This record gives sequence, structure tokens and C-alpha cells, in this order.
Amino acid sequence: MPDERARRKLDDYLRGDSALSRQYRRENAPMPPHALDRIVLDSARQARTGSADPQRLAPLAFAASVLLSVAMIAAMLFVPQAKRPDDRAHIVRVRMFKSEAPRAALASPRERDPTLWLADINALRRAGRGAEAELQMRRFRSAYPDYIVPSNE
Amino acid sequence: MNALDHDAGLMLRYRDGDTAAFSVLYAQYKGPLYRYLLRHVRNAAAAADLFQEVWSHLIATRARYEPRAKFATFLFHIAHNCAIDFFRRDLKLRRALPLEPDPAQFEPEVPEHQRPDRVAEYAQQQSALLAAVAALPQEQREAFLLREESGLSVEEIARITDVPVETAKSRLRYAVHKLQHSLRPMLEPEGLALRNYA
Repeated sequence: MPDERARRKLDDYLRGDSALSRQYRRENAPMPPHALDRIVLDSARQARTGSADPQRLAPLAFAASVLLSVAMIAAMLFVPQAKRPDDRAHIVRVRMFKSEAPRAALASPRERDPTLWLADINALRRAGRGAEAELQMRRFRSAYPDYIVPSNE
Repeated sequence: MNALDHDAGLMLRYRDGDTAAFSVLYAQYKGPLYRYLLRHVRNAAAAADLFQEVWSHLIATRARYEPRAKFATFLFHIAHNCAIDFFRRDLKLRRALPLEPDPAQFEPEVPEHQRPDRVAEYAQQQSALLAAVAALPQEQREAFLLREESGLSVEEIARITDVPVETAKSRLRYAVHKLQHSLRPMLEPEGLALRNYA
């Protein structure tokens, strides 16, 4: 059986000292050029003396991270809170948005304050003077186009 | 640590800073590794590059080295991976290789003084064997070279080449069968001699 023969051949070969292995070992045995020897051996030496061993650096890195954490916690607990001017600036910006300068020239001082003007418009509506209220509302929207009018007004 | 682990012990010593241990390892494995690469990739310049790449990888990763297998298995596993990368990177080179290998092209950088001073007939036989090895399919060639150059078992060859043991055994069986078949006259010198006397 050819399979059985091939298996036997392999077993013979794996036992070692087969004719094939003997013939292979009789072949010339080229070695790496000496220049390669030098490069590899120099690399091995430089690797030891050059860059630090990462395994040896591990405890140092751990200690550094612990120190940094302690310093951050101490800073949060013991250093007084500084003022946060950014928050203030944010509020100012919102206010400016809500009370932008009116585009058209306004007749009365009450119209210069959008909340007072809206109160007057509401008063007109409550008094049944709807047409006047609508007219004032159109003027208001023209004067304060970005003002968010509450839904009940 | 038993005798099988002696080389792994040397590697551990190198990992811990002993460069002399590396020199011993290098002296022991440089020949087999170089020949494995040279005869596997069939290109002297590429073999030299890969040889350097394998050792560089070993040096760079020495800090993580743990002896989970024989040192030879570890080293030739790196070499196998480097060779695979080479074959993938340079498909053009593989295609450019002659289908019928020209013995004159083998090992062009082997110094003349390393070639045995033997009779012309014997030199011809050597070339024939190398030509037959070079003509094997890549996987079979690698299995044969790993066995011959590293002396590793079929199980270890399977581990290096990341295939089941049966696959490694099959590759080696085909390689041995083809080599024995193609080199039959050369491998039976006694029989040939007897026939000559008859």
C-alpha cells in the first residue's frame, strides 16, 4: 500500500540518520557573513546598555503615577477655589442675547424695556383692545426680533 | 533545568542582562537559522535581511521572554513569521523565481572557501540535492528544512508553522518522498557501487 510505505519512509526518516539526512548534512553549510555577526552582536550589547529595560521602569512609573494622583487630590482639597470669570461672562452673554438693542428707535422709555413693553401689550389685550395690542406686538417683534416671548403673552 | 532547556536558560540569562549568554546562543544557532532562511527563501540578500530581522526581534522582545517551549522552537517560530511576511511582501520575487531552479543561482554569496573541496561528481550531487529541496512546494520545503536544521520534532514543527500535527507530518512525508524519489541514485551509493562491480 503506497500510503503505508510513505508512512514507513517517514518513520525511518524521523528516526534520524536516514540516507537523505546524511546526504543533506554532507552539503556545504553556509554561515552568515561576518558583517551580519557584528551587527547582531552589537545590537544585543547596545540593547543592554542603551535603552532602559521597560520591566525595570515599571515600579518607577507606578510610583510616579501615585505621586501625581496624591498631588491632584491635595490640590482639590486644600487649594481655595478660584473665581470663575467664564461663568460670569456666560451670563452676560445670555442677557445680551435676551435684551439686544432694539433695531428701531423707540418712542417711550417703557418700550426700551422689553418686559415692560410686553406687560403693556398684555394690558391692552386684557382691556379688549386687541387691534392695538396686535399693532404693538408687531412693533415689538420688529424692535426685538431675537426676544423669546413667553407663550402666554 | 534539564538539558533540553539549556538554551532557554541562556536566553533567560540574556534577558536578565548577560550578553555573554547571548553570544553563546548566537554562535549555536546562527548557522542553522541562516541556512533555514537561505534555503527557504532562496535568495541570499533576502535571507541576510531576514536573519537580521529575526535576531532584532528576539533582542527587542527579550524582556517579555518566558520559556514556554524549547528555545529552538521559539527562535524558529520568529523566523517562520518573518519568512511568511517576506513571502507576502514580495510576491513579485516569488513569481520571478525560475520554475526549474538553476543550481548556479543557489547560495551565490557562499564564500568559496566554505565549499567542500571534493571530487566533481560529489559536488554535482550536492547541487542536485539543494535543487531538489528548492523545487519543493514552500510548505514542504519549510518542514524539511526545519527538521534538518533545527532537529525539532513533527509536533514542534507543527507548532512553529501554526498547523495541526497531522498537516506538518503530511508535509514532511511528501517532502521526504519527493526528495528520496528524485535523488534515488544519489542516496543509494552502495547499491550503485555493487552494480558497478557486477
